[in-house]
Amino acid sequence: MAEPRATAPDWRLVVAGLGAVFLLAAPPFLSAYWVGLLTQVVILGILAMSLDLLIGYTGLPSLGHAGFFGVAAYGVGILSTTYQAGVVASIAGGFIAGTGLAALLGLIVSHVRDVYFLMITMALGMVLWGLSFRWIPVTGGDNGIAGIPRLETLIGLPATGPIPFYYLALVVFAACIVLMMVLVKSPFGLTLQGIREHEPRMRSLGFNTWLHGYLSYVCAGAFASVAGIMWAYYNGFVSPTYLDLTASSELFLMVTLGGPATLVGPVIGAGAIVILKNVMSAYTARWLLILGIVYIVTILWAPQGLWNLGRHRRS
Amino acid sequence: MSGSPGTPCLQLERVSRHFGGLKAVDDVTLTVEPGARHAVIGPNGAGKTTLFNIISGEFPPSSGAITLDGRNVTKLKPHQRAALGVARTFQITRLFPELSVIDNVLLACAALDRRKFTMFRPLSSHGDFMERAGRLLDQFELSNVRDERARHISYGAQRRLDVALALAGHPRLLLLDEPMAGLSTPERVAMRGLLEQLDPSIAVLLIEHDMDVAFSFAARVTVLHQGKVLADGSRDEVSANELVQQAYLGGSVNS
Amino acid sequence: MNAVRALLLVVAVAATFISAQTNDTRPPIKIGFMVPLSGGNAQNGRDILNGFLMYLDEIGYRAGGRQIELIVEDDEAIPAVGLTKARKLVERDEVHVMAGALLSSTGYALAPYITSMKIPMVYPVVSADDLTQRRRSEWIVRTGWSGSQPNHAFGEYAYQKLGIRSVVTIALDYAFGWESVGGFERTFAAAGGRIRQKLWVPLSAHDFAPYLAQIPRDVDAVYALLLGRTALQFMRQYEEFGLKGRVTLIGGGTTTDEHVLPFMGDEAIGTVTALHYSAALDTPANKAFAATYRARFKKIPSYYSESMYTGGKWLIAAINAIDGRVEDRAALVEALRRVRPSDLPRGPMELDAYGNPIENVYIRRVERVNGELQNTVIDTFPRVSQFWTFDPDRYLSEPLYER
Ligand SMILES: Nc1ncnc2c1ncn2[C@@H]1O[C@H](COP(=O)(O)OP(=O)(O)OP(=O)(O)O)[C@@H](O)[C@H]1O
Ligand SMILES: [Mg+2]
Repeated sequence: MAEPRATAPDWRLVVAGLGAVFLLAAPPFLSAYWVGLLTQVVILGILAMSLDLLIGYTGLPSLGHAGFFGVAAYGVGILSTTYQAGVVASIAGGFIAGTGLAALLGLIVSHVRDVYFLMITMALGMVLWGLSFRWIPVTGGDNGIAGIPRLETLIGLPATGPIPFYYLALVVFAACIVLMMVLVKSPFGLTLQGIREHEPRMRSLGFNTWLHGYLSYVCAGAFASVAGIMWAYYNGFVSPTYLDLTASSELFLMVTLGGPATLVGPVIGAGAIVILKNVMSAYTARWLLILGIVYIVTILWAPQGLWNLGRHRRS
Repeated sequence: MSGSPGTPCLQLERVSRHFGGLKAVDDVTLTVEPGARHAVIGPNGAGKTTLFNIISGEFPPSSGAITLDGRNVTKLKPHQRAALGVARTFQITRLFPELSVIDNVLLACAALDRRKFTMFRPLSSHGDFMERAGRLLDQFELSNVRDERARHISYGAQRRLDVALALAGHPRLLLLDEPMAGLSTPERVAMRGLLEQLDPSIAVLLIEHDMDVAFSFAARVTVLHQGKVLADGSRDEVSANELVQQAYLGGSVNS
Repeated sequence: MNAVRALLLVVAVAATFISAQTNDTRPPIKIGFMVPLSGGNAQNGRDILNGFLMYLDEIGYRAGGRQIELIVEDDEAIPAVGLTKARKLVERDEVHVMAGALLSSTGYALAPYITSMKIPMVYPVVSADDLTQRRRSEWIVRTGWSGSQPNHAFGEYAYQKLGIRSVVTIALDYAFGWESVGGFERTFAAAGGRIRQKLWVPLSAHDFAPYLAQIPRDVDAVYALLLGRTALQFMRQYEEFGLKGRVTLIGGGTTTDEHVLPFMGDEAIGTVTALHYSAALDTPANKAFAATYRARFKKIPSYYSESMYTGGKWLIAAINAIDGRVEDRAALVEALRRVRPSDLPRGPMELDAYGNPIENVYIRRVERVNGELQNTVIDTFPRVSQFWTFDPDRYLSEPLYER
């Protein structure tokens, strides 16, 4: 019989466990404001994880990822206000818009890698932003679309308000994190990591790496769309700032800060940025500077992101 | 996948590849029979790796035709040729450095299986993949480093892993580009043992600088020199060849 | 760090008063305030905040017999951030009333939330027409202006008084630009004038050469609607292109507003614009306001600065009118719509039934006086409504001004 090993549990397990308990149990004891911030964390957490599929797992650095998030949000906004569509149609419409767009743009971007991928996704992201800003009859331009009804009411929850919405978002978040965790452990998920690690080798083994890269782009777009739908309902409005370059780069920061290829890391990155932004800005208008400092410190102290702290450094 | 009896496993017809003005592979015609043990030798820069790249589809030939089991594959991409049974290793090891050894092999096992697109079921729950990967690890003496990241295992183990990856997809034609290069003497012995135990139905094309290894492993030898076939035939014919004696085995060219 | 220092000051002042007023039994009135304090719109945001701080100082942070506590947040000019900050102010700080916002997009984003929470709010600057038209909220009053409002007056003025018959417009390409140009075009065209061409400039524009090159030299005037950096750049290039002196330059009020005017040179002289305020307005109330503002903040007040001085005055008047019972939000918002404080820097003002001011529109010409550029008022349209002379119902049945 093997001797029981006396190793302490990985700190990550402890943190993740405490985090899960907190997310599940804390909101009833928090003020509505903090519940709102936590809601943002879980929604943006989904978004950050979806980008992690691209950056961390497939090795495709996208700087236009907020585009799908935004387009799905616009889908919900436009359908539920202009067309007075029902909740199912609005959600389905938002999801199809975001995912369909990823399927379309994926055809273009999956042919390039590395810095070219970065640049082309950035350019497409800016085109989408321009469209949201300029296609006024549909998007309301700079003013955006307001008046999206409350999701809790639409789906017939007995109660409305920050806490019911939060738990709704948490359920969606839980479903997404479980799905993505299975995804990255699946044969397909492993092929994505193979592409990140050595794409030519993948090809000579018999993988059509273009197809896998494309599918990962579509998957990431689909999860980003889920986040976009929740975001539209959370804020009750959509505006071009959802999909501008700032949004995409902040998202990029969440992933790199939290630790790419970990899924949990980007959620922590999202949490850190949301909390930092809102708590710090109460004290100083220079919160961006502080975020910059935090980022630099992280780069120096945990170059692979917070969640990879103490793991072997990637070459 | 398997051709009719008598069809060569691989046939190159007047294949050339130019890099600018340089003829890296120049008008090469070559036949590899099913199950053959075939060595390609030649000095540095002779075009051996380029020839492999053309066969595996890394890039197309500038001219000429490539036939696998009677099927013209000149225009096919690497993954399509892999699906037709071509596998290879690389002169400079190509692994998935941050993945564990077992994941490296699992990936290779899934490469030609439709289930590589399975998204919402963990790979570890696919019993047959796990079983095959386990067998390959045993065969290549990698079981003890199963969960290490590929970049952390010894160089010798990495070379063996490279070959294991190539074998995972049940190839019909295996291209080995200097599998012994850089290995210590005991490691070379081990690798040679492994190569000799390869499934005899697999045709093996081996690039090797070590003459002893090449001539003991292969029944047939092709000598490349400045992109051209200098000699091609059984090991006895080639070792007896005047030109080869002069230009190569005689040592007038560094190997 | 101006804002931070200002904030600390507010807290310090408030604290002093709280300790001094021990007989104060009711808790302080909390006012939640947000403007952009970082990013490209920070300067305008600070001006707005300054105006408010100045007025609160004047009244010693007391109204309706209660202490006033001001809580300032930075909305970063991002609507979603603005909404988060509004939630923070309402749900965590439990403010009684809100004020602020600069951009229309933020204004639109906040409106449904403000309405759903039934929190009275004052919009001092946000000028999007529809906020007090088709998409008005009973909980929001606007003490600023609607984008097309001065331009309705100005279109008519340009034709009748300036003798302009044909115009090329060059405006920022977003709702504010469209509504300004739309308002101008409507009355200008109705009078008989012709808009020859409309040029739209992205907010990020750095070089106006491609636009200026398109302007035909035989046009009577160029109408410019710009802001901040774009206004400065445009003025310089307008002169460099040899257009100054040849083609009359007119425009929306922000193009020569005091937030950019001190940074302009002689190239700006002669530009005629329309707005509901000018720092050079020659009334005792404005002179006193401008002098105090200048002494305190070391610069000329812009229309942004005046906006929240007046907005603050409006809000405090409403609080006083209900004796500080701000917990009764319906009463507060009703008072906000009813009060009519006098001696405002911008002149007389009242709110229409839609929550938008009826106020003077000033035609201003840039002149150099005592070595400084100023917007000299050359004409006044009294009591201008957001609907100009049109029937509100008919006006609202028509579409919003667009590109
Ligand atoms: N992608 C390429 N672009 C340009 N030149 C190339 C390329 N690949 C190979 N060459 C050139 O073609 C010639 C043949 O190279 P190759 O790598 O095939 O030689 P080799 O026989 O494998 O040599 P070695 O024993 O050193 O591995 C060399 O001169 C090399 O520089
Ligand atoms: Mg070679």
